[in-house]
Amino acid sequence: MSAYYRNNKYEEYPDDPGYSGPRNHVQGYLKTQGHPESPGPLHNSDYSQTRSNPYSADSGSADYPGSVARPGYPGSWSDPDYPGTRSNPYSADSRSADYPGSPAEPDYPGSRSNPDYRGTRSSLYSAGSRRRADHPGSPAEPDYPRPWSNPYHPGSSREPDDSEPRRNPDFAGSRSSGHYGGARAHPDYLGSLEEPDYPGAQGSSNHPSPRHTSNRPGSKRNPEYAASRINPHTDFLSEPDYPGAENQPNSSNFLGEPDYPSAEVYQHSPNFWGEPDYPNAEDGRDYGSSKTPKMTREVLSRTSSIQPSFHHGRDGPLGILVRENEDDSESIEMKSMEMENPYGYSVPGAPATGYVNPAYVGEGSSGPAYGNPPFGSDWHKSPQGQKLITSLISMTSRDRIKAIRSQPRAMEEKRNLRKIVDKEKSKQSRHILEFNCCSQCLNSISLAHRRSKNSLSELLNSISLWQKTLKVIGGKFGTSVLSYFNFLMWLLKFNIFSFIVTFGFIIIPQLTVATRNTLQFTGLEFLTGAGYFSDTVMYYGFYTNSTIQHGEGAASYNMPLAYLFTIGGCLVVCFFSLLFSMARYFRNNFINPQVYTRGIAKLIFCWDFTVTHEKAVKLKQKNLSTEIRENLSEICQEKVKLTLNQHLTRFAVHLAAWVVSTGVAVACCVAVYYLAGNNIEFLASHRDPGAVLLLPFVVSCINLAVPRFYSAFRLVERYEMPRHEVAVLLVRNIFLKISIIGILCYYWLNIVALAGEKCWETLIGQEIHRLLLMDFVFSLADSFLGEFLRRIIGTKFITSLGLPEFDIARNVLELIYAQTLVWIGTFFCPLLPFIQMITLFIMFYVKNISLRMNFQPPSKVWRASQMMTCFIFLLFFPSFTGVLCTLAITIWRLKPSADCGPFRGLPVFIESIYSWIDTLSHSTSYLWVVWIYRNLIGSVHFFFILTLIVLIITYLYWQITEGRKVMIRLLHEQIINEGKDKMFLIEKLTKLQDAEKRANASSLTLERDAEETGPLHTRGHDTAHTPDLRFRRSVQEENPKA
Amino acid sequence: MGNKQTVFTHEQLEAYQDCTFFTRKEIMRLFYRYQDLAPQLVPLDYTNCPDVKVPYELIGSMPELKDNPFRQRIAQVFSDDGDGHMTLDNFLDMFSVMSEMAPRDLKAYYAFKIYDFNNDDYICMWDLEQTVTKLTRGELSAEEVTLVCEKVLDEADGDHDGRLSLEDFQNMILRAPDFLSTFHIRI
Repeated sequence: MSAYYRNNKYEEYPDDPGYSGPRNHVQGYLKTQGHPESPGPLHNSDYSQTRSNPYSADSGSADYPGSVARPGYPGSWSDPDYPGTRSNPYSADSRSADYPGSPAEPDYPGSRSNPDYRGTRSSLYSAGSRRRADHPGSPAEPDYPRPWSNPYHPGSSREPDDSEPRRNPDFAGSRSSGHYGGARAHPDYLGSLEEPDYPGAQGSSNHPSPRHTSNRPGSKRNPEYAASRINPHTDFLSEPDYPGAENQPNSSNFLGEPDYPSAEVYQHSPNFWGEPDYPNAEDGRDYGSSKTPKMTREVLSRTSSIQPSFHHGRDGPLGILVRENEDDSESIEMKSMEMENPYGYSVPGAPATGYVNPAYVGEGSSGPAYGNPPFGSDWHKSPQGQKLITSLISMTSRDRIKAIRSQPRAMEEKRNLRKIVDKEKSKQSRHILEFNCCSQCLNSISLAHRRSKNSLSELLNSISLWQKTLKVIGGKFGTSVLSYFNFLMWLLKFNIFSFIVTFGFIIIPQLTVATRNTLQFTGLEFLTGAGYFSDTVMYYGFYTNSTIQHGEGAASYNMPLAYLFTIGGCLVVCFFSLLFSMARYFRNNFINPQVYTRGIAKLIFCWDFTVTHEKAVKLKQKNLSTEIRENLSEICQEKVKLTLNQHLTRFAVHLAAWVVSTGVAVACCVAVYYLAGNNIEFLASHRDPGAVLLLPFVVSCINLAVPRFYSAFRLVERYEMPRHEVAVLLVRNIFLKISIIGILCYYWLNIVALAGEKCWETLIGQEIHRLLLMDFVFSLADSFLGEFLRRIIGTKFITSLGLPEFDIARNVLELIYAQTLVWIGTFFCPLLPFIQMITLFIMFYVKNISLRMNFQPPSKVWRASQMMTCFIFLLFFPSFTGVLCTLAITIWRLKPSADCGPFRGLPVFIESIYSWIDTLSHSTSYLWVVWIYRNLIGSVHFFFILTLIVLIITYLYWQITEGRKVMIRLLHEQIINEGKDKMFLIEKLTKLQDAEKRANASSLTLERDAEETGPLHTRGHDTAHTPDLRFRRSVQEENPKA
Repeated sequence: MGNKQTVFTHEQLEAYQDCTFFTRKEIMRLFYRYQDLAPQLVPLDYTNCPDVKVPYELIGSMPELKDNPFRQRIAQVFSDDGDGHMTLDNFLDMFSVMSEMAPRDLKAYYAFKIYDFNNDDYICMWDLEQTVTKLTRGELSAEEVTLVCEKVLDEADGDHDGRLSLEDFQNMILRAPDFLSTFHIRI
C-alpha cells in the first residue's frame, strides 16, 4: 500500500526539478529498449553521466529502468523453463543495471556504522584497483574493448583471450576480471566463455597462479583507482550482442537441462570467481569472500529489478495501477522512481509530505544494506537531500515541521535539514517579496503565532491530570487497564465541558435572580436529590421563564431560550466530538480490511513498552509465554474437526445461553417497569423520604448482579476464542443496561410526564440523580468490599483462585451506563454533569487504589485499542443516539408542566423557539436569522436535498472503498507473486552455489597440481564461507528493488 | 525552570521543538532527566553543544528502561554508533519516537530496527528467536520458539522470502492497532 501512496505522491509532484534526472534515465533507457541490439554508445553516455556523481549513480542507475525497459521480458521471465533466450536481447540491460553498482562502491567507506561492510568496502576497492592495475599494465588493453564490441566473432574474441594471458600474466588477470563483469552481467555470457568448449579457455583455469603472483602487489596499494573501473565497464557495454551471437552455438549444451540454463552456466563461473579471491585470501585479507557476494548480489539485484516490469507487462496488479494513473509513461517513471527509493533514501521522503513517509522504506531497506545511510552531515547535499529540501520548502510551516519531525533520522540531521530549509525559505521569500516590507511583518507574525501556539499547548499539557498516576498504572498493568482510565478521563473531560457550559449560560444567570430557599436541609437529600434540592438550581423546576434584565437598558437574557440552546449546544458538541473520536479510532484500528488472523505475530511484536514495573514485566513475560503456548496448541488442534453431535451440542448450549440471558434481561426490564409503575402508590403509602430510593436500589442491584451472572455463562459456553467471549458478554451487558434505561425512559416520558404531577421534570431529574448516585455508591461498595473480599478469598482461603483480573469490559460498561444517564438527565437537572464530574473524579482514585490492592495484570493480551473503538462506538450508538431520541421526544412532543420551569405555560418545549422566531421576524435587523430558520432549519425541502446529497456522497465513497478493496487485494497478490519470483531466484542461486562448490572443488584439484603448498588451505577456508555470505548479501540486495 | 535560558539558547530550544514531538517544558524535563543520569558528566550549559555521551549502563538503569527486555536494543538503535552510549540528541530522539505523538510509520520504522538484532535490515529467523526468548524470559522450549517463529513468518511474511522486511513489518503493524499505544514510553 505504501507503494501506492508513493506513486500518488509522485503524481503530485510531477514537475519537481529533481525528477528530471531519473526521467532522463528512463528515456534513455527506453530508447535502448527499443533497440536491444544497439551497441554501446548509448549506454556509455548514460554511464558517464551516472558516474559523475556517486549519489546519482546510486539512485539513477540502481533503479535503472532496466526493469521498465523490458516489455517483452515478463512473459519469458515468468516461465522458468526458458533457456538462454532471456539473456540474449536484454543482456545489455542487465549488464548495465550492474554498473551503477560499481561506481557506487566508493561510497562504501562512508558506511562507518555498519561494521559488516568494512570488509566489503575494502575488497571493493581492491577489486577496482586490481582491475585498474591490470588494465594499464597490459598492453593488450586497447584491443580488449574491440573484440568485445564486435558482435559476431566468437572465435576472434577467444583468440586474444587465450593467447594473451599466456603471454602476459598480468593481462590474464585483467581478463579474468573482465569475466567477472560478464558473469555478473548475465549467465549466458559466461557460458560463452565456458572453458570446456574453448581450448584456450582451459588456459584461463591455469592462470590464477601467475596472476596472483604478479598482480598482487600493485593491486592492494592503489586505493585511488576506483574510478578507473570505468574501463572495464565500457568494455562490456560495447558488447551487448556478443553473448547472443556467441551463445547460440553453445546453448545446445544447456538445453539438455532446460530448467536452469544459467545455473548450468554458472557451474563454470566459480572458476572466475574463485581466482581473484585467491590472491587476496593469501594476503591474509578477506577480500575475496566479500567480493564474491557482491557480484552475486548484483546478479540478483539486477534480476529482481526486472520484476516490476514483469508485472507491468503482465497487466497484473500493476497494470491496474497503470490504468489508475492514466498515463503509462508517467507510471513507468513513477515505477522507476519507486525503485530508486532503496538507493537514494531521501527521495521518497521528499514527496512524502506528511502522512505516509516512504522514506523509512527507502532508508530501511537499502541504507544500511548498502552502507549508504550515513550520508553523515552532508547527505542533504545529495540530490535526494536536495529533493527533500525543495519539497519541504514548498510546504506550509506546520506541515514542514511535521515532516521534519517524522524523518527517521538522527537529531543532528533533522536540525541541519531544518536550518537549510529555513534558510532557503527565507532566501526565497526575500527573493519574491524583495521590495515588500509586508514579508517581514508576515514572517514575524507567523513566528509569533507559532510561539504562542507552543506556549498554549504547553499550558494545556501542564494541566493534564494524573499524568504520574497513569504512568504508574501503565507501568504495572499495561496499556489495556490503562485504557479504562483513559476512557474515564475522557468522560471526565466531557463532563467538565458540559458543566462549564451549563454553569456559565444557565446557572449563573439563574442565580442572579434566585429566590430564597425555604426548605429544610437534612442530609439525606444528597442521596435522594429531593427535599431541599428540589428548589435549587439543580433542577429544571427552579428556573424562571422570564427574561432576566438587571437595571434599565441593560442587556436582557431570555431564560427559556438560553436553557434550550445551552443544552442543545452541549449535546451537539458532544455529538461531534464523539463522532470525530470514533472516526479517528476507526481509521486507526480498522484500517486493514483483512480478516484478523490468529495474530501470533502481534503477540510478539506488540510488547507493551509502557510496562516498566519489574514484577509486572516478569508477570507479563510469563503470561505471554502461556499465551503463546495456548496459541500454538490452538493452531495444532485446529485440524481437529468436531463431530456433528458436538456441533449440535455446542449450538444448543449457545442458543440456550442466549435465550436465558435475553430472558433475564427482559425479566429485569419487566420488573423495573412494574416497580416504577407501582412506585407512585408505594410512595404515597410510605411517607419516609428514603422510600424513593427503592427503585434506584433495585436497578443498581440488577446492574450489579446480572452481569456477573452473565459472566458465569462462560463456564458452559466455552468459546474457543477469548475475543468471542468478550464480544458476547459485551453484547448481553449492553443489551441489559440499555433496555433498562429504555424502559425507564418510557416510564418517565409516558407515565410520569402525562400523570399530571405538579412538576414532572423535576421529578424525573430527581429520579435520574438517585439512579446515578446509587450506581456510584454501588461501585464504591463493589470496589471496597466486593473486590477486597474477592482478594481475601483468592489469597487466603482458596489460593487456587489467585488474584482476580481487572474486568475492563464490565467497568467500562458501567461508565457508559452512568454517562447515558447524565446525558438524559442534563435537561432535567442541569447540574448533573457536575455531579458526574465529582463521581468520576472519586472513581478514578477508588479504582486506582482498588486496582493496586486487589488485582493482577490481565493475563490475556487484550486488544485495548480495538476495544476502545468498540466502547466509543457503544457510547455513541445505543447510548448517545438513544439520549438524542429521548430528548427529541421530550422537546417536540411533551407538554411542559404548567407552573414550574422555564417553559411553563407553553404547549410544547419547542414552542419557545417558534415564538422567538416570530418576535424576531418583526424586527428588521434579525431578518437573516429568520430567513435561516425558515429556509434551512425549518424547511423540509432543504433537508430533503441535504439528505439526497449526503446519500450520493456516501454512495460514491462506498464505491471508492470497494475499489480500494479490490486494489488492496491485487496489491497483496502482487506481493505474493514477487515473493514467488524471489524464491525462484533464491532457489536458482542455491543451485548455483552448489555448482560453484563443485567447480571449486575441481579447480582446487587442478591447482593442487599446479602448486602444492600454501594457499590451498586459505582457499579452502574461503570457499567454505563464501557461499553463505554471498547468499545472505544477495538476498538482502534484491529486496529493496522488489 | 528558571535557568532554562542558560541551558539552551532560544534557537536551540526551538530547533528541538521542531525536531521532536515535545513541548519546551518536556524538553527541559527530559534534559534534567538526562542530566540526572550522570550529573558529573553532563554540564548544565548546552549553549555551546558540548560533546557528551552518557554510557549505556546509566541509560539502561533509567526506571523507564530498566526492566524493559529490549532496553539494550533501544539504546543501540538510537545511539550514534550503535554502542548504546547516548548524547542528549539521541536521548531526545529516543523519547520523541516513543512518545504518544509520533506517527505510526516512524514508530514502526524504529520498532523494526529494534527487533532487527543483527542489523541486516531484515527480521530473520534468528532475530525472531532472539525476540521470543527475550519476551518469554526463556520459558518456552527450543521447539516452541522455532514453531512460534515459523508461525510469525508465516503470518507476516508477505512475499514469502523467509524473513520480514520493513514493508512486511509495517503491514503487520497496520493489523495490530495496539502497537501505537504499546510502543510508547511515558516520561
